[in-house]
Parts: sequence; C-alpha cells; structure tokens
Amino acid sequence: MTKFSLDKHIILITGASSGIGRSCAVEASRMGATCILTGRNEEELKRTAGLCSTPATIFSGDLTALDVIQKLVSGLPKLDGVIHCAGITHPWPIKFLKPEHIKTMFDINYTAPVLLTTELLQKNKINDDASFIFISSISAQHPYYGGATYASSKAAIEAFSKSLAIEMAPRRVRSNVIRPGLVKTRMFDEAKGASVDSENFDQYEKFYPLGFGEAEDVSNAACYLLSKESRWITGTEIKMDGGLILNSKKN
Amino acid sequence: MMTLEEFTVNLEKEFEGVEPGSFTPDTHYRDIKNWSSIYALIVVAFVDLNFNVILNATDLRSTNTIRELYDLAVQKHV
Repeated sequence: MTKFSLDKHIILITGASSGIGRSCAVEASRMGATCILTGRNEEELKRTAGLCSTPATIFSGDLTALDVIQKLVSGLPKLDGVIHCAGITHPWPIKFLKPEHIKTMFDINYTAPVLLTTELLQKNKINDDASFIFISSISAQHPYYGGATYASSKAAIEAFSKSLAIEMAPRRVRSNVIRPGLVKTRMFDEAKGASVDSENFDQYEKFYPLGFGEAEDVSNAACYLLSKESRWITGTEIKMDGGLILNSKKN
Repeated sequence: MMTLEEFTVNLEKEFEGVEPGSFTPDTHYRDIKNWSSIYALIVVAFVDLNFNVILNATDLRSTNTIRELYDLAVQKHV
C-alpha cells in the first residue's frame, strides 16, 4: 500500500516524448493519474502513452507557437497538475552569443511554459488545489562554462514559479521547481555526444557522491509535489544532485 | 567571407597563452597547450559566429589542422 496517490488526478506533462517528461508520465500514471502528454515527436509520445498504466492522451506540437498553445488548451479538461519538462540546452560562451541563441533558448525554456500557464489560467483549466511543477537545473544556481543562456533561462523560470505560487495561493494552487543535476536522459546523451572529449564526460560522475541521476529520481519527486501530501509546499525548489554541491570543494 | 589567413590569426587570439604568430594553417589546433573541452567549445562557437555553421563533435574530430577546420566551415557554409 502506497502513502501517496494521484487517483482521479488529471496531469498535463510537456516534453513527454522522452527523458524526465516520459518518466513523469509513467510514474504519475502508476500512481493513478490520467496523463495528457505533449511534445514535438508524435511517435515518441505514442511510445510514452504505451508505457503508462492508465490511458493517456497525446498532443503533438511546438509549444513555442502561441496558436499551438491555444489549440492544446482549448481541448483540455480541467487539470490537477502540470509538469513543465520541455527544454533544450546548448553551450555557448558569452563572447560568441548571437541574438538567436538567446531567443531559441528562452522561447523553449521560458516563454513557452509561461504562456502555456497563462493560457491555462485564462481559460479556467486549473482546478483548485492543483500543482504546477517546473523542471529547472542545478545550473540555475551553479552555472557552468558556456551555460549562460541555459542557466539564465532556468533561473528565469524559477522566479516565474515563485510569482505563480504567490498569485495562485488564494486557490491553494501550488507551484514548485525541481532542480536536478546531471540525469541520464537523451539530453544527457546529446550533451555527451556533442562533447569532443566524450570519454572524459563520464568522469564528471566522480563529482557526484551518489552518481548521476536517473529520470525516475526526478519523477518520483514530481509525483510527491503533485500529491495532496505536499499541500503545504509552494514557491520552493527541490535540489536533486546526488550530493554534487556538497562535494563542490573537491571539484 | 573570412580568408584562411584571417581565420588562422583570429582563431589564435581566442586561446590564452598561445604565442602571437605561432599559428599557421597547418597547425594541429588540438595539440596546443592546455587544450580542453572548453577550447573545443570556443572553436565551435567561433566557427558559428563567423560562418553561421554549427559543427558537432564528429565534425571536429574529423579535422586536425586549422586548414581542415576552415575548409569544413566553408564547405558547410554553402
């Protein structure tokens, strides 16, 4: 018997075609939630839906386009939770930044989740006591070389989450952030593949006392934040880094 | 478009501790002192800024000299 249940919860998950988003769908459905999955890759969304323990609905589209957000929201039932997982990363040293680098990063990592949230509220698609979760990154507080736009976009969404928590508190709607370190996902593989010294990439794991994370580590925390057992938690961040920051003096 | 000579001179300026004028088109850029993944990141960003071309890790590994890097950037720029 499990303590937490998401029975009768309807959850919207962005970036559900892979990685943390997929894992959130699988774990939330295992706890009884009905999931609505969004992402750009329809085939991968179907795969995620097939992994869910309850029937899932999919919506494929690019949420950086406002008309796509409006189309998605218009067809949604009222939600008990939203997990914003969609995101990209690409390293660019500040000296070499171009406007399009900043725009692309912020369009996907900041503007899309903000405008989706706005549209959900405008169209009254959020139930009282609902829970918003934004997947951020440890880099929002601890940036890395080349990560200026990525870390900035995540810091921005963290500030947005706090604002949302304040504005929605009268309805007991909560908003929180999960701030993971390196998690073994497709994004992780892409970062590793883009690294010229990919052999050395694995050596970063030695800085993680508990090793790199798994997507399930993050989705388990997300499920807790979705559940009513976390009803007193809002406007905060859960850092999940396998002890990386504790160990930082040795790095 | 930037010439090979300009590319060589300007790329050299991006690396700390490299003696000015030591780079030639035939320099193996990954053999420079203190080469690291950060330098690789700088090379990718430098090529993007000047050629609007994004090289991946495989692209980089396929080149050794500055001339080969330049030729690849020009080829992908088209």
